[in-house]
Amino acid sequence: MSEDDAANDEPFEPVENKIETYGAEAPVTGQTKMQAAWSAESDDENTTAKVASSKQGQIFEQIYKPWEGTLNPRWMRNWAILRHHILGIFKKGHRPWNIPTRLFIFFVIIASMTDVALALLFGMIGEPTLYDIWGVNRDNLYGHVMGFFPRNILYYPIVAALLVGGIISEDRSHGTSALYFSRPINRFDYTAMKFLSVGLILLFIINGTLAVYYFVDILVMGKGWAWIIDTFPMFLAAFGCGIILSFTYTSIGLALSSISRGRFFPAIGLIAILMGTKSIAAIVDALFDRSLLYIISPYDSVAHVCQALIGTEMTYEHPWVWSLVSIVIMNGLALYLLANRVSSMEVTRE
Amino acid sequence: MSPSVCVLFMVRDLIIESTALTKSYGPHVALDSLDIKIEKGSTGLLGPNGAGKSTFLKTILGLIQLTSGEGKVLGYDVRTQGNLIRQNIGYMPEYDALNPNMDAIHQVKYSGELIGMNPNVALQRAHQALDYVGLGEQRYREVSSFSTGMKQATKLACALIHDPKLIIADEPSNGLDAKAREFMLNTLEITVNEGQRSVLMASHLMDDVEKVCENIVLLHKGKLAAQGKIEDLKAIDKEIEIHVWGSAAKMEETLVDRGMKVRREGRVMRIGHNGEDTYNNILQTAADVGTQVRRMHDHEATLEDLFLVIMERLGHDVKSSEDLLGGV
Repeated sequence: MSEDDAANDEPFEPVENKIETYGAEAPVTGQTKMQAAWSAESDDENTTAKVASSKQGQIFEQIYKPWEGTLNPRWMRNWAILRHHILGIFKKGHRPWNIPTRLFIFFVIIASMTDVALALLFGMIGEPTLYDIWGVNRDNLYGHVMGFFPRNILYYPIVAALLVGGIISEDRSHGTSALYFSRPINRFDYTAMKFLSVGLILLFIINGTLAVYYFVDILVMGKGWAWIIDTFPMFLAAFGCGIILSFTYTSIGLALSSISRGRFFPAIGLIAILMGTKSIAAIVDALFDRSLLYIISPYDSVAHVCQALIGTEMTYEHPWVWSLVSIVIMNGLALYLLANRVSSMEVTRE
Repeated sequence: MSPSVCVLFMVRDLIIESTALTKSYGPHVALDSLDIKIEKGSTGLLGPNGAGKSTFLKTILGLIQLTSGEGKVLGYDVRTQGNLIRQNIGYMPEYDALNPNMDAIHQVKYSGELIGMNPNVALQRAHQALDYVGLGEQRYREVSSFSTGMKQATKLACALIHDPKLIIADEPSNGLDAKAREFMLNTLEITVNEGQRSVLMASHLMDDVEKVCENIVLLHKGKLAAQGKIEDLKAIDKEIEIHVWGSAAKMEETLVDRGMKVRREGRVMRIGHNGEDTYNNILQTAADVGTQVRRMHDHEATLEDLFLVIMERLGHDVKSSEDLLGGV
């Protein structure tokens, strides 16, 4: 090896040997580095600073530790996805839903139980007229799920929008789709669990509060079996309506989320579709006295079908079956778009 | 050892094997009849942009349907056993694949749960994996506050949580500074050498591949350009380097006249190795032209040299691997 090569092999002075002495002929004492660094000694003239080398104080030891556990089957993996999304509403360490979403869900749950509170209040103070207004009956069960103001304009669509906003689009923008699809998660399971996560949270809000409304009335007002037998089919019909409503909002919202890379577009898109179609149909109905255009409105189509299911007074002129067909078509299109877009999500690059 | 035993031994050590593996997107052939055999250990996957690396990775992950041919990863069929393949490998994507609002420990834990680990076990392993990749002290920090190196390390921890037999690392040193890059490569090396795991590493950095990998697979336009041990492949471009004094130009001319392949830079010449006689021929030529040979040794080719030779043979005039791979 030439001298030049030898010189090149060691271009810098080794750090370990580098000692900077601040006092002339100051001895290297046994003081700690901390003392040197922070001038703990009052006599700075004797301070000797020793530059730390990478070897000093290094305790990190890199050891590969094998693991010989067993892996759970498919349903457990799917349960992990579901749990990750749903528990994220309540707990840290799961999907990080943002604070406004959590607060709004909490607000909506409380606000959705105003009928419970008023029915209880008037029932307990013995005011039958007011109790009849707020207590459980056919119209109130319908109203708890499908009431337009405030529930289906201020509560449920906005909760749905907040939930679907980033649920798939953020996997696309953050690249976390690779985390799913490079593991034994297939596209169907991924989509189904995302759908169930949003759908179940919505269902918990809509049907959970409906169940509280119904069963609290039974327990607190001491309703008898005859009343229960009389009203339970209506409760089941209202429960079914909650499922249809949650399903429809979720499928449209997830379809929008799947074609986006951000949180804003799917959220605002869902609200625009729900409110825009209803507004157009309402204008046409007011001007031309034709309710048919309500079949383009997801909310009105579900409301129409629910009126038929629960047996309340119909507020639309066209047959409810047309609304049912409209719901099927809307959900079909939304699910097709969702499946199509999820199948295009990449593992290697987006 | 009988031939059948020999074959069995070879089959046992193959982690990825493909026969006439072809994938077409309409008229575009992304992978063209690939016959690849990757042994246990560390292998670099190289290829210019559009060579089919990404398609090959998706194929061996069992994510896309083959047009024709067969492929096996860890003994599982890529056509029908994609889930089993993905359960037994750890994939580290090239691009960001982490939720920025989650802390590292829960991110890694969740990736373990997606494989099928119990939540408690996944949490325990997440601690171990993050400690292994050097993020033990940062594991409760949000990913959004991480540097690129820390994000890459988190992705590696996600891939290692279930102790896979094969780790597929797509550009693991992408965007890292020198220190983080060295740590990442050392970690992969330890995983292979001490952990006895296999690594398939796609990279456009020849130095990285050379540091970590024993073998390479080089793809070009969907075809297999080269595969095998790096040391064996380097032998195809073996040269002898001599340092001469006096009449260097005449020496070069004479060597060329005598049928040798010579590259000269001042007083340093590299002469193509053409059998054991080459050394004697060089010394004889030097004696004939009156040139002093002050040093003579076999030239240690780098992977970069090898890449350039292969590309030259494929008809590409490139000065460095960056020309072809830089944009990958």
